[in-house]
Amino acid sequence: MSEQNKETRSPRARIVSIVLFILAGILIISSVGGYALQMTQDSKNSLEEMKTQAVLHAASEGLINSIAQQARAEKLAELRKDKNFRKRGLDEVNAICDGAMNEARAEAERLYANPVVQDQTALNSAISSYERALAESSSMSEKERSVFAEIYVQLVDNTSDWRTIAGTDVDDDAVLRAMGETAPDLLKDENAHLQAGFVQLARDQAKAQQEREDAALETQLKSLLASEIPDWTAFAGLEADALWVKLCEEIPELKDEERFRDTLIQTAGEYIAATEKGEAVSAPAEAEEGSVTVAETQADYRYFTPSEALQKEESEESDSYEQLYSQLVAVIPDLGTLSDKLQTSLRENIEKVLWLEDDSFSARYSMYTANQATGGTWKMQLAAVAKPLMLAGTAVLLLGLVILFWKPLTERFGVPRTIIALFFIFLCLMAELYNISVRMMLGNVFERMTMYGVLVLAMMPGIQCGIGLNMGMTIGCISGLLGIVLALQFNMTGFPALLFACAAGTVVSLPLGWAYSKLLNRMKGNEMTISTYVGFSFVSLMCIGWMMLPFNNPKIVWLLSGKGLRVTHSLLGSFAHLLDNFLAFRIFGIKVPTGGLLFLGLCCLAIWLFSRSRLGIAMTAAGSNPRFAEASGINVNRMRTVGTVLSTIIAAMGIVIYSQAFGYAQLYTAPRQLGFIASSAILIGGATVSKAKVSHVLIGVFLFEGVLVFGQQIANSVVAGGGLSEVMRIMISNGIILYALTQSGGGRRG
Amino acid sequence: MADEYILEMNHITKMYGSNAVLKDVSLKIRPGEIHALLGENGAGKSTLMNVLFGMPVIHTTGGFEGEVLFNGSPVSISSPIDAMDKGIGMVHQEFMLIPGFSVTDNIKLNREIARPWPISKILGRDLEFLDREAMARDARNALDDVGMNIEEYTLVSGLPVGHMQFIEIAREIDKTGMKLLVFDEPTAVLTESEAQQLLEVMKSIAAKGIAIIFITHRLDEVMNAADSVTILRDGQLVSTFPKKETSPAQLAAQMIGRSSESVIQIQKRDTEVEDRPVMRIRKLWVNMPGEVDKGIDLDVREGEILGIGGLAGQGKIGIPNGVMGLYEAIGEVEFEGKKLPLGDAGTVLKAGLAMVSEDRRGIGLLLDQSIENNIVFTAMQVNGDFMKGFLHQKDTRKIRKYAEEMIRELDIRCTSPAQPTGTLSGGNQQKVCVARALAMNPKFLFVSEPTRGIDIGAKHLVLETLVRLNREKGMTIVMVSSELQELRSICDRIAIVAEGKVVDILKTDASDTAFGLAMSGVRSEEGGCA
Repeated sequence: MSEQNKETRSPRARIVSIVLFILAGILIISSVGGYALQMTQDSKNSLEEMKTQAVLHAASEGLINSIAQQARAEKLAELRKDKNFRKRGLDEVNAICDGAMNEARAEAERLYANPVVQDQTALNSAISSYERALAESSSMSEKERSVFAEIYVQLVDNTSDWRTIAGTDVDDDAVLRAMGETAPDLLKDENAHLQAGFVQLARDQAKAQQEREDAALETQLKSLLASEIPDWTAFAGLEADALWVKLCEEIPELKDEERFRDTLIQTAGEYIAATEKGEAVSAPAEAEEGSVTVAETQADYRYFTPSEALQKEESEESDSYEQLYSQLVAVIPDLGTLSDKLQTSLRENIEKVLWLEDDSFSARYSMYTANQATGGTWKMQLAAVAKPLMLAGTAVLLLGLVILFWKPLTERFGVPRTIIALFFIFLCLMAELYNISVRMMLGNVFERMTMYGVLVLAMMPGIQCGIGLNMGMTIGCISGLLGIVLALQFNMTGFPALLFACAAGTVVSLPLGWAYSKLLNRMKGNEMTISTYVGFSFVSLMCIGWMMLPFNNPKIVWLLSGKGLRVTHSLLGSFAHLLDNFLAFRIFGIKVPTGGLLFLGLCCLAIWLFSRSRLGIAMTAAGSNPRFAEASGINVNRMRTVGTVLSTIIAAMGIVIYSQAFGYAQLYTAPRQLGFIASSAILIGGATVSKAKVSHVLIGVFLFEGVLVFGQQIANSVVAGGGLSEVMRIMISNGIILYALTQSGGGRRG
Repeated sequence: MADEYILEMNHITKMYGSNAVLKDVSLKIRPGEIHALLGENGAGKSTLMNVLFGMPVIHTTGGFEGEVLFNGSPVSISSPIDAMDKGIGMVHQEFMLIPGFSVTDNIKLNREIARPWPISKILGRDLEFLDREAMARDARNALDDVGMNIEEYTLVSGLPVGHMQFIEIAREIDKTGMKLLVFDEPTAVLTESEAQQLLEVMKSIAAKGIAIIFITHRLDEVMNAADSVTILRDGQLVSTFPKKETSPAQLAAQMIGRSSESVIQIQKRDTEVEDRPVMRIRKLWVNMPGEVDKGIDLDVREGEILGIGGLAGQGKIGIPNGVMGLYEAIGEVEFEGKKLPLGDAGTVLKAGLAMVSEDRRGIGLLLDQSIENNIVFTAMQVNGDFMKGFLHQKDTRKIRKYAEEMIRELDIRCTSPAQPTGTLSGGNQQKVCVARALAMNPKFLFVSEPTRGIDIGAKHLVLETLVRLNREKGMTIVMVSSELQELRSICDRIAIVAEGKVVDILKTDASDTAFGLAMSGVRSEEGGCA
């Protein structure tokens, strides 16, 4: 066997890989050299030198800018005094001012750009002592802020009704206690300094909520006026009080809403005026609720209060800055002329150049060369590129290995899985290059795995029973969504709600899946097309269904009409993140969604056990060779039904899990693409349209989400600006689907 | 002399790899002659015709040796189109007609009569107008020639099967310059009267001077229509002679031939198996495409090995498939005195029957699954064997043990019981199929074409296993095979099926003539041992 493998490696591949190995060797050796250079005293000195340069540059640049700006302002003021000022065009004025500014800048640069340092050691020591103080206070502040952010996110994500927590009649202690129930960390002694801020937050949120609801109520009342009162002429000419009384007679509900008296009277006046003019009375439009794009909750640091220890650190930091400042003034005496505002920005600038997020030699070096016209020595250059060299070396090494072992690799894992896995490794290297935290993103990937895992698992019985990729799994998804809105309708919360949603989804998906499988059994050979069609049309059918179904809980129906379900339903206060937070813990800064992973594991185990039972074995055989199964007395159609129904039920559970991880349940056209996502994930995992295993599901969902998360982040870093990331997301996910589908042709049943 | 033969194929040898399928075969045909080409399946008839038509399969496998003279001069025919241009036509066994087109359109397809007009002169022949009247006239003439009185404008799709065959012929004779026509089993799907009519048409075509090569299995048709006969066997020319000098019995004997040695040496049974039927098949009709049975009556004796022989497509394979419920079937099948339901594989398997299918890769195996899973699959599904535990999971250990036992017993060559069957050789795959049937502990075993496509060593082992099962366990075995020698070596009796019916049941030592006649549907005096 091994001899055969050797033969399959063509000599050309061997030569190419040897060349790549040599290249990788050169890259890695020079990178190691670069790292070694970073260690030497030489480069430590130059590092210090670079820091000094950076600080001086920041200082002089600040001064130069301020002088230039001032010159421009003076010129403008001078022009304004001229009586011909208005006759001049804007362009001309700008040109004159810019000319003056550039002149002043050139002069200032001549004076200040290359400051001469008298007492180098004093300056250096001032810089390093400030840097130390900065580092201490920053790390402490970061720690406190992260504690703050955690509590903040916990609170905001899990509180749906702020008014009961922080109503006007609730005192601060009670507010705190109520919040402590959602976020126990808040009540800890070490977080006492944060409490006042959070109480303020709760009050603000409650107020904002009240305002939002009042606005909605006001709109509703106005439209009530418009719809309930057919003839406004009867109201014409009435005084405000009389009008109100008469309105209250007509519409008894108004009595309870005395707060809106004035606005409503005004509205009534408008309606009366409109009627007199012969125009139709039009109610204000209710704000349309669009599809919510759910962003991660960001902590608002306005509510953050530093602890005493931190305050002390910060004051120390200020002291050491004062020392540094005095040194700087010694070098550039005119710094003292800067205004207070500019002083502050100078301090911020210096802090920025000293406290780099990426405090590496290469970052310093690139900053240094950007400020300095001349480049550094070759040693510095080499030291600066050590990391990219190392990454490139690793990439080339991997490439060489892959070319050398291409045959056995693809035989073992299949071409699609190999390529996607390689792409994933490539993305990891890219992430390292762009200083994106791989760890954080892995955490993100795991979170998304629990989100999509069960949905992807739903593909498995479909493939096994022979209907191929079950694009019609949207039927199951919609059943699950129905379960969720039923739970919301009955105001259920917590685990009962989750279990109820799963159970209701299962009950609904059973007959639907059964009917769907009967259809598929009549369309053997065309299942993919049929299931895609059925999936799409069922989504469309339910778009009508969501409007028609007799739900009446005001929390989930449209405000104005009081019927028809809204598009997006927040599960906050119901069962959002319930599984994900169950037994969740943090390790290496990654949040591990234990509950979600456990549930996924349980589902996988159940499917695995099923596939080893007599029924499961029969089903798999019916899928992979129907004639064979028939010859063994198996009812192939029944097995296909079993598989389809199972797939539909798992999809129903999957969407419940997905929604709880997402925090929202989205109806109408939202579930349409889920079939594509799930099928491409399982195909990447190594499944074909006729064969699938549990391992394919897990590997597939990891690789798919991994490539998606990493790819998106890296696209953001490579090309700045928000627009590209969305484009990249669509390109990556659809590209994966397309690729996986083209590759799946190889496994088609013959 | 040059014009005496329209076609001469001299010393044709064709190798597929190292395997000679044609060895020094010669064929000479005079103008206006009906020349019958006879031979069993695999005798080399199709290959010879492929050579004649210059089929790609010949060129891509290294060409052939020998020469082809057409009209007295050597020709090299490069493709079927080339053959058509030279005046050689073929009436196919499967109809090559477009159902949605009219009879005329089908006859004139790609040879349409067209009128040019200005635009077609600029943009090419494809845009010319069809001269439908002229086309209809030609089609009418051709239809009249084959004695068809259907209207030329009817659609092909609604016509009975027999008519299609005639339209196919009409299309060939409508081609101008046609000198030689090949009829490949034209009567296989026709009723008796249609077949008779076809023979008349052939004779009238031949009377116009067109030579005909007539491939068939029906000896009576040969005697009726042919002028001379060529018999091939195992890729070799057996004999060529005018019809007048021969008889059906001689033809049959020459077709079968006697290769005296048995495939394997086994101890023949001393006494005949008692006539105690364990299975009675009455009026069994099976709708298996290509192997249709039209009323099989057959008794299988308890403890015997019954062979079922016959030419391909005559329905012998339909019998096991029909009984086991793999294809639609009607009729009566009794097993051990109880009626078996037809079309219900599960119940039949439960009753103690098992089958090793002829379609090894299609029906016999799950190619992507392991040997052990394949072996135990049916037993697990039908009898619930090899399961364990509260959750009713498969018993991996027990399965492994049984599979290893089977691998030893049947000498399945594999790396481990977990090897996927798709990677095994044909012979070893067949052994896995046998093992799967045996895992059921059947009382009655159907074995369909057990030696097709496997090497000689595996062939011996499979046949020996069957005999051993029969002798040691008393298992009743019905073996269907196209290889008569194989049946004669291990069976007690051999039933010959032709045209969907059991023609005769013969002893293994019956003469070649008897077998040959039975295969072409004629019952001889020797037969009827049942």
